[in-house]
Amino acid sequence: MFDPNITKFILFIIGSILVVIGAFCDLVASIGFLRFPNFFVRLHAATIGAIGGAVVPLIGVAFLALSADFLGTFRWYVAGASVMTAIFILLAAPTGSHALANAAHRAKVVPVMPKVCDHLEEDRGREGEK
Amino acid sequence: MSLETYLDILIFSVIPVFLVAVALYCIRIIKGPTIPDMVLAVDALGFDLAAFMCLLALYFKSAFLIGGAIILALWVYALDIFVAKYYLKRELGD
Repeated sequence: MFDPNITKFILFIIGSILVVIGAFCDLVASIGFLRFPNFFVRLHAATIGAIGGAVVPLIGVAFLALSADFLGTFRWYVAGASVMTAIFILLAAPTGSHALANAAHRAKVVPVMPKVCDHLEEDRGREGEK
Repeated sequence: MSLETYLDILIFSVIPVFLVAVALYCIRIIKGPTIPDMVLAVDALGFDLAAFMCLLALYFKSAFLIGGAIILALWVYALDIFVAKYYLKRELGD
């Protein structure tokens, strides 16, 4: 027959796997922040840190809270707020980093140091001559 | 062993990884060569701390840390947009 304890165990396993994946992604992103040479390359590490390091463990926390019986009714609050925060970060983190990269490239505050050629800069220069 | 003990063991073993990540982000914030580097590191640090606060709310079994996580994510997004607008227009506007 159907056993509610099995459901809670499965939710707990899924949530703990997601939290461990999130912690690993966070460590990888912070090492990448230290080792990457350039602002535009560090955007890659920032994306790993935002999506893999924040959204995935937040959804894992939601699963963990749903499986936790000892929390009482407050577990629904924790699960709902975690999913809300995860959806908000999923929308806001790429938007924010794209706006920052666009502004930094347009205002030329960041040097594009190891570069072969920069077609975006050439196109903008040609538009400025017109 | 009950599920509560497993949850405590899991969160207690994940917390040092998050703390090491926070320390490495802080190194990049302090020595970042340009301003956008620092802002990007603060960005990643803020989202990281939001997830960490939700984990702590499960660990301490208190509901008050969750609202803090949502507001922290909102402030980090606002910081990104403000810095981008300052670099584009050279003013913050209204």
